[in-house]
Amino acid sequence: MKSSVLVNIGLLTLIATGFYTYVGQLVPQKEVYPPEVTELAADMTTEDLVEVGREVVEGKGLCLTCHTIGQSGALRFPDLAGIGGRAGQRVPGLSDLEYLAQSLYEPEAYIVPGFTGGMPQVNRPPVGLTDDEIRAVLAYLQSLGGTPTIDMATVIPYAEGGAAPVPGGEAAAVEATATAAAEEARQQLPGGARAQAQGPAALVEAFQCAGCHQPGGEGAPLAELAARLTREQLLAAVAAHEQLPGGEQLRAAGYGERVTLGEARALADFLAAGGGR
Amino acid sequence: MRAKLLLGLVALLLAVWVAVELAPRFERWQAYRSPITLSEETVTPRDEARVAESREQAEAARQKPYEEAEYRAFPVIGSRVAVWVAAQLHLLFAAFVLAVPMFALIIEFIGWRTGDKRYDALAYEFTKLLSTSFSFTATLGAMLTFLLIILYPKFINYLAHVFSPTFLFYVLLFFAEAGFLYSYYYGWGKFKPRTHLLLGLGLNVVGTVIMFIANAWLTFMSTPSGIAESGAVLSTWDAVRNYTWMPINIHRIIANVAFGGSVAAAYAAFQFLRAKTAEERAHYDWMGYIGNFVAISALLPLPFAGYWLAAEIYAFSQTMGLTMMGGAFSWLFIIQAVLIGNLFLAANYYLWLGMGRIEGAERFRSYIKYLLIVVTACFMVWATPRSIIATVEEVRAMGGSHHPILGFLGVMSAKNTAVNILILTTYVSFLLYRRSGRIPTVSWAKKGNAAQFLVFAVAAAIVIFFGVYGYFVEAAVRIRFSIPQVMSVLVAMLVVTVIDVFLLRGARSTETRWGQIPDRAQYVLIFLAVTFTWTMGLMGYVRSGLRQHWHVYGVIQDTSPDAFTPTLGFASRVVSVTVLIFFALVGVVFWLASLGGKKMTGEQAAVEPAPLPEPAPPPGGRAHGPEPSPAGPLRGSERS
Repeated sequence: MKSSVLVNIGLLTLIATGFYTYVGQLVPQKEVYPPEVTELAADMTTEDLVEVGREVVEGKGLCLTCHTIGQSGALRFPDLAGIGGRAGQRVPGLSDLEYLAQSLYEPEAYIVPGFTGGMPQVNRPPVGLTDDEIRAVLAYLQSLGGTPTIDMATVIPYAEGGAAPVPGGEAAAVEATATAAAEEARQQLPGGARAQAQGPAALVEAFQCAGCHQPGGEGAPLAELAARLTREQLLAAVAAHEQLPGGEQLRAAGYGERVTLGEARALADFLAAGGGR
Repeated sequence: MRAKLLLGLVALLLAVWVAVELAPRFERWQAYRSPITLSEETVTPRDEARVAESREQAEAARQKPYEEAEYRAFPVIGSRVAVWVAAQLHLLFAAFVLAVPMFALIIEFIGWRTGDKRYDALAYEFTKLLSTSFSFTATLGAMLTFLLIILYPKFINYLAHVFSPTFLFYVLLFFAEAGFLYSYYYGWGKFKPRTHLLLGLGLNVVGTVIMFIANAWLTFMSTPSGIAESGAVLSTWDAVRNYTWMPINIHRIIANVAFGGSVAAAYAAFQFLRAKTAEERAHYDWMGYIGNFVAISALLPLPFAGYWLAAEIYAFSQTMGLTMMGGAFSWLFIIQAVLIGNLFLAANYYLWLGMGRIEGAERFRSYIKYLLIVVTACFMVWATPRSIIATVEEVRAMGGSHHPILGFLGVMSAKNTAVNILILTTYVSFLLYRRSGRIPTVSWAKKGNAAQFLVFAVAAAIVIFFGVYGYFVEAAVRIRFSIPQVMSVLVAMLVVTVIDVFLLRGARSTETRWGQIPDRAQYVLIFLAVTFTWTMGLMGYVRSGLRQHWHVYGVIQDTSPDAFTPTLGFASRVVSVTVLIFFALVGVVFWLASLGGKKMTGEQAAVEPAPLPEPAPPPGGRAHGPEPSPAGPLRGSERS
């Protein structure tokens, strides 16, 4: 074999790989390290939180991988400029803080019109921000076009120890509780008294409400409930049925789990209208 | 004088140091001797202390708790690079071993159906490369497995927790593959043709299933499913069929064929360059052409499989998708564009050089410069970055990191358009090559040509329309434009091919002078093989690197010292080293394959000289071309 052939092939291989290695050196060189947890001091001010939040947004939070700040045009994800100012108007019933917290903890709950979903929950892997880091991010987002109000004492909705707010206010919250209770009830009671009950009056009879709710009984008479409680409070009492507004403990705790949402509504309507006389 | 004094001082200090350092040790080695000779042995307090000390040490050693290692370090280059190189080398050989049987079987089948022994001989020549390659694949696979067990024991334990049933199945299938491979190779000419073809089919099926299993492990690491948040297994089958499993399966089958074809073509080029006779040159020219034809045929649909894979990555995690295309890895795709651009340029160049061996190809020569302009323009658009690396002054002058004009070419609308036009243009090159040696004789030839031209024009118009329109719509709409672009190109290639098949029925063939091609065409084939290999290395890096600091994305975090994502420059160097090692090993494969051929030729030559197979005409096409000349360069009448 001609030795020059081997030399030529070897040289060609070296030159080609050398060229591609060279191209690899021409592009920006950046090492990406695993993010570290940001610890917040208890005495941090809102201004401190905004600054820390900015760092988290630009770094560990990976927010700017998708979002932009101050760009317009055909964007793939909502631009964050001015988000602090418009957050309070996005979803009726949600404050700016609640909306922003919802966007981070439950991003699929509301999708800005014109965009598609797909944002990850930032408190879960792979982003995996801590509640404190999210607190800082919230402060920073509030500062973009709004006035940051959050501080170290603020209870963060959705975070550990903070409840999820429900759009639509108290009434909707009651409805939501009723929905959850009714969902469990559907699974637990496939028949029984409800199957025989036709209409709210029959339900009252089937569930033997008057056993307690009668003059001189342990519960307030059914006919008087309309004067004492609103329809929403009645719904809450029927659906959640743990305690009455005002803190009074209900003896029939757990009763609400035995009714469906439709039945709870029907009962609430029935009692609010003075039914049960 | 002063130097001597200094030297003496140093010597004195050294002597003192030696005395201080060594004297106690020396003293410890010596057993205690009483200054007075005693009649009976005495146990001194010092002896008791030493015994007690050694007893304590032995007890401490017995009580030492077992600590399970999470990671171990590989010397000098580190664990990640060691596993990276071993995995990439294993994958390259595995790709070759899986791909070659695919087209070897098809070529053998053509030979069986047409009765043309030259196809059979060509299939055998391809298969000759498999034996050593299979051994290398297995050896490198064992090396990779040991490295993983040694360096990442805890993570491998977790993978076993999820996939242990598939591990056992994999090993059994590996035995089956060895059985099929060696019976296919050593049984050549010894079984009935149908039986031998069935062995080849079995080899392909088992090999593909093996790849699918291994793909399940690695795709699970990037896009896990079938597990709880804690990592506990809910369903092994769901873990197998995760988001990117099937896209990777399809992408790898196609890419393996492209890669295998290119390496086989490089083997033919190597043999062509060392050939001593015109017959050998003709044979290896034809073999190189077939290998390259296989490689480019698989390369053309590869970007479409890539789209699917990328879409599934986005579907799994927008964050991961954007990290890939818009984050840490976005510049990697500029390197990829340079590689793919070179592949297309080199492939076209080889076809144009190949036209020189075909009588009647002169009529298409004038088109080459236009094709070159289009290919180059598409290459440049594809390799245009969105953000330009610039000095502060340059950024100010541009008004940002995006060039005011070129910045518009750095977005997906332009790049998708460029790559689709590039594919169409390469297909036109191939069509011209195919037409060079054949003159249609059907009555509707002109209309057929016009129809083909119209199909190309409509496809190009659709691609360009959506490319331009993409600048004026929302991103969510723009993303979907790649589908009509891709479909129009695929449909166009399909329709044109069908027309061409009917158009060239009974076509008059001209002479093809196999072997009469410049040597540089063979170096182009070797360059293509190197570029294919480098591309596989780079894309292997991005597929794995996308997980960043996770062993299993979002579930098992990498807490080793190598958990960071290295620079693209570093990755390029590792890929290059891997490619060079691979080609050194491939050189061994080629050498061993040629040794086998020598022995066979030598034995046969003792009785009768064994002529090399002639270049093959197409099935049924021989009657239309001139007969091969036994004396001069072989002539064929057709290309695949």
